[in-house]
Amino acid sequence: MTRPREARREPAGAVTGVFAAEAEAGGDLAAVDWASTPLGPPGQWPQSLRTAVSILQARWHTALVDSLQEAFFVCDEDGAVVEINTAFTDILGYGPEELPYRPVHPWWPDAVKDPEAHRRIAAAFAQLMEDPKGSYTVPVSHRDGHRLWVSASFNHAHDPGTGRQVTVGTFRDVTAEHYAVWRKSAQAALGLRLTQATSLPEALSGALAELRSVWRAETVLAALSDGAGRPSVTTTEPGLGWTDLPAGLRDRLTDAFGRPLLTPVDHATGAAVTISHPEGTMVVWLDLGDHRPFTGEDHLLLSLPAGQLAQGLARAHQIDQLRETALALQRAILGPSSLPDGFAVRYEPATRPLEVGGDWYDTVALPDGRTGIVVGDCVGRGLKAATVMGQLRSACRALLLQDVGPAQTLMALDHFAAGIPGALCTTVFCGVLDPRTGRLTYSSAGHPPGILTHRDGTTVLLDEGRSVPLAVRPGRTRPEGTCTVPARATLLLCTDGLVERRRRPLTAGIDQAGAAVHDGRGLAVDELASRIMTRLAPAGGYDDDVALLLYRHPAPLDMEFPAESAQLAPVRTALRSWLARCEMPPHTVQNILVAVGEACANAIEHGHRDIPGPVRLRAEARVDDVRLTVTDTGRWKTPRPDRSPHRGRGMALMRALMQDVTIVPGTAGTTVDMYTRIAR
Amino acid sequence: MTGPLTLTPGHAPAGATRLTVAGEIDMSDIGTLAPAIETTQGPLIVDLTAVDHLDSAGLSVLFRHADRVEIVATPLLAPVLTISGLTRLTTVHGLEET
Repeated sequence: MTRPREARREPAGAVTGVFAAEAEAGGDLAAVDWASTPLGPPGQWPQSLRTAVSILQARWHTALVDSLQEAFFVCDEDGAVVEINTAFTDILGYGPEELPYRPVHPWWPDAVKDPEAHRRIAAAFAQLMEDPKGSYTVPVSHRDGHRLWVSASFNHAHDPGTGRQVTVGTFRDVTAEHYAVWRKSAQAALGLRLTQATSLPEALSGALAELRSVWRAETVLAALSDGAGRPSVTTTEPGLGWTDLPAGLRDRLTDAFGRPLLTPVDHATGAAVTISHPEGTMVVWLDLGDHRPFTGEDHLLLSLPAGQLAQGLARAHQIDQLRETALALQRAILGPSSLPDGFAVRYEPATRPLEVGGDWYDTVALPDGRTGIVVGDCVGRGLKAATVMGQLRSACRALLLQDVGPAQTLMALDHFAAGIPGALCTTVFCGVLDPRTGRLTYSSAGHPPGILTHRDGTTVLLDEGRSVPLAVRPGRTRPEGTCTVPARATLLLCTDGLVERRRRPLTAGIDQAGAAVHDGRGLAVDELASRIMTRLAPAGGYDDDVALLLYRHPAPLDMEFPAESAQLAPVRTALRSWLARCEMPPHTVQNILVAVGEACANAIEHGHRDIPGPVRLRAEARVDDVRLTVTDTGRWKTPRPDRSPHRGRGMALMRALMQDVTIVPGTAGTTVDMYTRIAR
Repeated sequence: MTGPLTLTPGHAPAGATRLTVAGEIDMSDIGTLAPAIETTQGPLIVDLTAVDHLDSAGLSVLFRHADRVEIVATPLLAPVLTISGLTRLTTVHGLEET
């Protein structure tokens, strides 16, 4: 290894200069009282001695500086580097031969290719020129082009030889530490994102955002191969799909699908790395723009988080699957997702995030058109109660389908429950309703009574047919009660969580529920269910499982028929019989028949002039009013009295006979919505 | 359930013709009702006592012959006959509740 040549200072003519320079290098020559030595005062030294001292002094200086482990440099007042040591050359590749190095120094990162790095070193240089001392860590370029990070300290000093101000600095190569810290914080941030994510898509989009931030990338995207040339794309730029990507990038990504995993490949404007995704092969692409070189160090820095990302995605996928399984199982044990018309249910498990608890409701369509109704409540709550509930619900459903009646069903369920740990003391209300007549047969195994709210607001408790909870006395005969749900009355079945409160009699809760039903008499039954849940909720929310089932008699009429005038008579017949079940006064019936007849005739005549399609009639009775809806799949024609005078008359009749008529034309069809109060 | 529309022609006092209608009248029945009225001449008494549904299509037929028709109906049809204005053009009997 060759000794770099130091920037040699001319030995100063004045002895003080010589000594001062020496003192600067750590010597102590000036402190010696030369006059008392045989050499005498330095002023009287011969030239030869002075030269000898100067040479020794300079060598001492050089040896001292070169012995430093750290790179050493001296800048003049203009910022030009005028002196360096061996370590400087070792680190940056720039030797003493080309001294001085004037700013902009050749090791500065390129202002165009890497503006951010350039900005940082320029700021550090400004600091070096202005501040009396300081330190900084900056990116620099080695003579051979590779990126380094150095940590420097500097001090302003006075050169006694020249009388000028100089800056003396040292630095060391901290590239490895810099990247280690960067990698650690990047991995920590990525890890945090991945663990916080509650689903696979969330994990992926969070990780991409994190990568974008630590790489200062313009965009980061992930393409998941589907094996059919239409990969699905997730990106930090929302709304970007595969076909929106430039063709060149698509080719690059497609190529990368076949590359070895976790091995970054860099291109002019970014880098791609292939990872394994739970659903296939994924390529993560970092768009670094034109000005950010992807260095050798970067390859390692990308492959590590890429591996981390792949692991995180696999874990998120497992969590997704577990959750989906859990949800599917919970929903399967909870009960039917579709209900017969006229019914509404609400279900509120006490133990979040479980979607089920020990309560349940069920409706079972029996072969003869009747409907089995069940509301039950297992002891306890949470997962354990839910598993018991699931078994009892299924068994009760199967037993009801045997059509032996509610009491027999519960007696069979007694035996079934006796064999299931945790099923003892479950309470159940089991009923069979004939939706045509409102006739309800029921039996209760220790369950709170059903509440029947008549249309005048009076309430009746369904407190017949009562016996002990399930499995308490297996084999004992259970009684049955019957009642008829009158027209426009509402039946409410619930579990005790809805009506039972500490330090309050159950009757108070039942009264409250009855009042809520009566106050909601103008609501459709589903809205009524929401209203009751809100109104009866304790201040801090329900602290027990709650199941609520409502039925308002009769269920709405909902029929679909071809757009033909021959259908008008059968539709009238069906509507007339439904109106009779609603127990409406004859003139209200007549008004509704005429108004609906006109709306249907309109749908047939105008709505379907071009393309015949079905017409739908829905009639829903609330307590004091009826809502009638006729929907067609055609385009409503504004009546032209000059062409068809009777159509104009039809409209006039509808408006005169109903309290409110709304006609909503739409591209898919026209809806006529009519509403009328039921005269008492 | 009401059966199909029946039309029974007959004679009324003072040389008038009588047409007794029974059943329900909607747009699908116009093809039967309209010719039955059109084939008569002179004063006509249309007896709707046994009709329990009359829609705007049926009303149109009656409107077309309002100048020579007298109607006998029941209170059930009163809203339809009144709202449509037919009661203002022709004589309608039997709308009052008894």
